[in-house]
Amino acid sequence: MTGVGRRGLLAAAAIIGATPRAGAAELPPHEQELYGAARREGEMTWYAGQLSAEPCEAVGKAFTERYPGVKVNVVRSTSQVAFQRLAQDMRAGIAQCDVLSSTDYSHSSFLKREGRLLAYRPKNADGLLEFVRKAGDPEDHFHVFYIGVHLLARRNDRVSEADAPKSWKALTEARWRDQLAVGHPGYSGAIGAWAVLLRKLYGWDYFKALEKNRPQIGRSSIDPVTTLNAGERSIGVAIPSASTLLSMSRGNPLSLIYPEDGTVVVPSPSCIQKNAPHPNAAKLFMEFATGPEYFRVTRAFFNESLRADVPPPEGSRPLEQVKVIMPTPEEIEKGVPEVKEQWRDTFGI
Amino acid sequence: MTETVTLPKPAIEARPPGVLTRLRYLEPSNLLWLLLVLILLFLVAVPIGKLLVVSFEQQGTGAFTLSNYATAYGRVRYLEALGNSLILGTSSALLAAVFAVPMAWAVSRTDMPGKGLTWAAVMGAFIMPPYLGAVGWILLAGPNSGFINQAWRWVTGAEGALVNVYSFPGLALVIALHSFPLIFIFVKSALDLISSEMEDAANILGAGTMTATRRVTLPLVWPAILGGTIVVFLETIALFGTPAIIGIPARINVVTTQLWQFFEYPVRVEVAAAYAMPLLLITVGIILAQKLLLARKGYVSQTGKGGERRIIRLGVWRWPVFAYCAIVGSMAVVMPVAVLLQSSFAKAWGRGLLAPGNFTFDNYTYLLFRHEMALSSIWNTLWYSATAATAAVLIAVLVAYIVTRKLVPFGSALGFLAMAPFVIPGIVMAIGFYAAYAAPPLALYGTALIIILAFTARFLPIAFANASAAVRSVHPEMEEASRILGGGRLMTVARITAPLIRRSLLGGWLIVFIVASRELSSAVFLVGPRTRTMAVLLYDLSEAGNFEVLSAFGGLLLAITLILVGIGMKLAGRDFMLRRN
Repeated sequence: MTGVGRRGLLAAAAIIGATPRAGAAELPPHEQELYGAARREGEMTWYAGQLSAEPCEAVGKAFTERYPGVKVNVVRSTSQVAFQRLAQDMRAGIAQCDVLSSTDYSHSSFLKREGRLLAYRPKNADGLLEFVRKAGDPEDHFHVFYIGVHLLARRNDRVSEADAPKSWKALTEARWRDQLAVGHPGYSGAIGAWAVLLRKLYGWDYFKALEKNRPQIGRSSIDPVTTLNAGERSIGVAIPSASTLLSMSRGNPLSLIYPEDGTVVVPSPSCIQKNAPHPNAAKLFMEFATGPEYFRVTRAFFNESLRADVPPPEGSRPLEQVKVIMPTPEEIEKGVPEVKEQWRDTFGI
Repeated sequence: MTETVTLPKPAIEARPPGVLTRLRYLEPSNLLWLLLVLILLFLVAVPIGKLLVVSFEQQGTGAFTLSNYATAYGRVRYLEALGNSLILGTSSALLAAVFAVPMAWAVSRTDMPGKGLTWAAVMGAFIMPPYLGAVGWILLAGPNSGFINQAWRWVTGAEGALVNVYSFPGLALVIALHSFPLIFIFVKSALDLISSEMEDAANILGAGTMTATRRVTLPLVWPAILGGTIVVFLETIALFGTPAIIGIPARINVVTTQLWQFFEYPVRVEVAAAYAMPLLLITVGIILAQKLLLARKGYVSQTGKGGERRIIRLGVWRWPVFAYCAIVGSMAVVMPVAVLLQSSFAKAWGRGLLAPGNFTFDNYTYLLFRHEMALSSIWNTLWYSATAATAAVLIAVLVAYIVTRKLVPFGSALGFLAMAPFVIPGIVMAIGFYAAYAAPPLALYGTALIIILAFTARFLPIAFANASAAVRSVHPEMEEASRILGGGRLMTVARITAPLIRRSLLGGWLIVFIVASRELSSAVFLVGPRTRTMAVLLYDLSEAGNFEVLSAFGGLLLAITLILVGIGMKLAGRDFMLRRN
C-alpha cells in the first residue's frame, strides 16, 4: 500500500515537476529532516483521548496536508479507553501505538516510570505558553499541547442566567434535582481530574450530596452536551468548553457558566511510546502538535490556543480573567484511582 | 479431474495391495477429519480452555491461585451486576416471547391481514443492530426529551414522563424489541408443521378456537418457544452495547459492563476470566435444563399421513391481531429508524428536522469524505465478515457432511465442537481469544486475523445448523449413484452434493455475514487501531457527543445491510433469513 503510494507520489512529482518539493521546502529545517525519515515510515497511529472526534480527524488531515505521504491513523476514544487499549497492547506484547494523548496525567507518568516512553523535545514546544511548557515533563518524556477546560453549561430556554448555578457548590441545592448531567471518571480522564479537585475542595461528601440530585451519568465528559442538546437535562456538569462552544455554534441553545469556585483546567499530556512502530513520524507529529498549525486547526473547533501566535477561540473567556483550579500530576496519579472506586460506590455505576 | 483420468485407475491397481497402494485407498475424508479436528480445537477448544486456565493463574507469574475468583466475587457490586444480568436476561426473554409468539401464530395460522408487512417488520428488527435500536430509543423515550414523552405532555398536559428508557424496564424492553425475531423464527416454523387435524379434534370435543389454540396448538410448539426464549436469554446476558449505552445512565451495572471494567488499566484478564465463568455455567446449565424439560414428552406433530393445514378465520378479531403486530413492528423498527434518520439529517437534532435551516447532508458527507476511519471501518467490516462467513460455512459443511454421512468413527465429536460456541457468550469468547492468541508466539492482537477467527468461531453454530439441515435434505442415493459409477468421495461432494445444497448454503453464508457485520461484543476487545469495524466505531461515536453523526453512521450501516439482504433475497430466496429447517 505505502509502496504504491510512494511510487504514485514520485510519479506525480515527475509529472508536476518540483511542486511537492517546493511545498516541503517551506518546512523549517528540523521538520524537513524528520519529514524525510517519517515519509519512509508512511504513517503513524495516534491514540487520541483529548480532542473530540471531529477535530481529531481534522488534525490528522492537516498533518498529512503539511507532510504529504505521512498518514495519521486516528484512534479516537475517551482517555481511559485509549489507555485501556494501550494497556491491552502492552499486555499482549504488541506495538501499535505511536503517540498516546490522554487527559489523565497518571497515564504518562506511569508509562515514564515503566520506561516505556521515548524522550523527545519538539523544537516547536518553545513557542508554547509558559504554564503549558512547565506542565510537560522536564525530562521530555511527555508534553502538553492540550488543556481541558471544564465548567458548567445551561440550557438557555430552561434556566435563565439569573437562576443558573454560579458554582460547583450550588449544584447540590435541591432545585437541581433531575436537572444535572455529568460524565464518568471510569471512562473520562477529565472527569477523574475534576472529581479529584472537587474532593479536595469540599470532601467526598460533596458527591454524596450531588447524588441526592440524581445526575444523569454518561461516559465521556462530552456526553452531557448531547444530553443538554436533547433537552434531557438542563445543566451540564464539568463539560469541556470546546465541545460546548462547537455545539453552540451549530445552533444549540446552550451557554457556558464559569463557576466561581474555579474553572477546572486539566493539562493533558501526550507521549511517544518507546516501542513506537513509527518513531520518526511520531516525533514529527509532536512537532506538528506543538506548532502553530495544530492550534489553528483545533481553534476552529473552539479548543484553547496554547501559543501566543494563535488567538484564543471565539466565544470563550480568556483564562487569565477567570478563577482557575488545576490539579498537580501527583494529585491526579494518586487521586483518580481512588475517586473511581468512590464514584462507583456512591453512584452505583 | 475428469472422468477419463479417474476411470482407468482401478484397472491398474488390481494387483495385490502393498502398503503404498493401501494408502491410496485411504479415504481423503479421514485426513480431512483430522484437519477439521485441529481447526475446531484451535477455534473453539483452545480459547475456552485457555480462559479456564487463566482464571486460576496469578497475573505475571502464572502460578496457581484462587485469588482471581476472590477478587471477582469479593464485592457486593460485582455480585449485583451478576444478579442484574440474570434478571435482565429473564425479563427480556419473557418480553420477547410475549411479542413473538402471538405474531408467529397470527402469521402462520390465521387470516390476519398485512402478513407481508409483519414479515418485513420482523426481518427489520432482526437485521437492525441492537445498539442502534438503543440509540433510537434514547431519542424516543428519554424521560424529558424523548419524542414519545413530548407528545404525551403535549396531548395530556401532564408534567411527568410516560416512559423512561433509562430504567430497568426500558433496558429490558429495548433488548426484547431486537431479539424477539429469534423466537418468532423458531415458533413460526414449528407452527407451520402442525396440521389442523389436532385442532379439529379439539373443536369436535367442544373447544372453541381460542381454547384449541391455547390447549393444543401452543403446547405442541412449546419446545420451539422454550428454545427461542433460551436463545434470547443467552444473547441478552452476553450483550454489551445496549447495556453500555442505556445501562450506565440508568445506573444498571451488568456482567458485560463489569467485564469491561476488568479490562481497564491494569488489564486483569485473569479476573475477567474468573468473572466470566458463571456466564458459561449458566449457559450450560440452561441447555441441560431444557433437555430435561422436554424429555419424556411427545411433541410429534408431523406424521407420515400428510395432514391438512387450514387457516383459522379470525372474523372481527383480524384487526386487533393485526394492530398488535403493527404496534410491535413499529416499536421495533419504524419508530427507532424514523428518529435516527431525522437526527442523521439534522444539524442540531434537539431542534427537530423541520426547524428552519436545520436540514443538512453534512453528517453523511463528513463520514464519507472527511472521516479517516469511517470508510476504512466499513471496508474492514465487509471483508472480515465475508471471510469469516466463508470460513464458517466451509468448515460447517465439511463437518456436517462427515457427521450426517457417518464417514468416520466419533464424527459426532466434530458436531459437538462445531455447536459448542453456541453456549459461549460472545464477550467471553473474545476474552478467550485475547487470552489465547493476543500475545506472542501468535501475537494476533490488533490483526485482522484474530477478529476473523473470533467471528468464524462465534458464528460457526449458525453455519453448522444450516449446513447439516442442508446435507440431511440430500438423500445418499444420489451420491451412491455417483460412487458406483467410480466417482471418488470428494468428487461426488463437489459435483453432486454441493450443487444440490448451494442455495441453502448461500442463505447460511448471508446470515453469518449479516450477524458478523453488526457484531460488537466480541469485536470490542479485539480491535486494534487499523482493524476497527463499523460496530466498534459506532460504539466509539456514541460517547463522542455528536448524535447527529452517530445517527448518520447508523444510517450508513443500515443502508449497507439492506443492500446485502436485498442481494440475499435475490440469490437465496425471499425468506432466507427466516427459514429454519
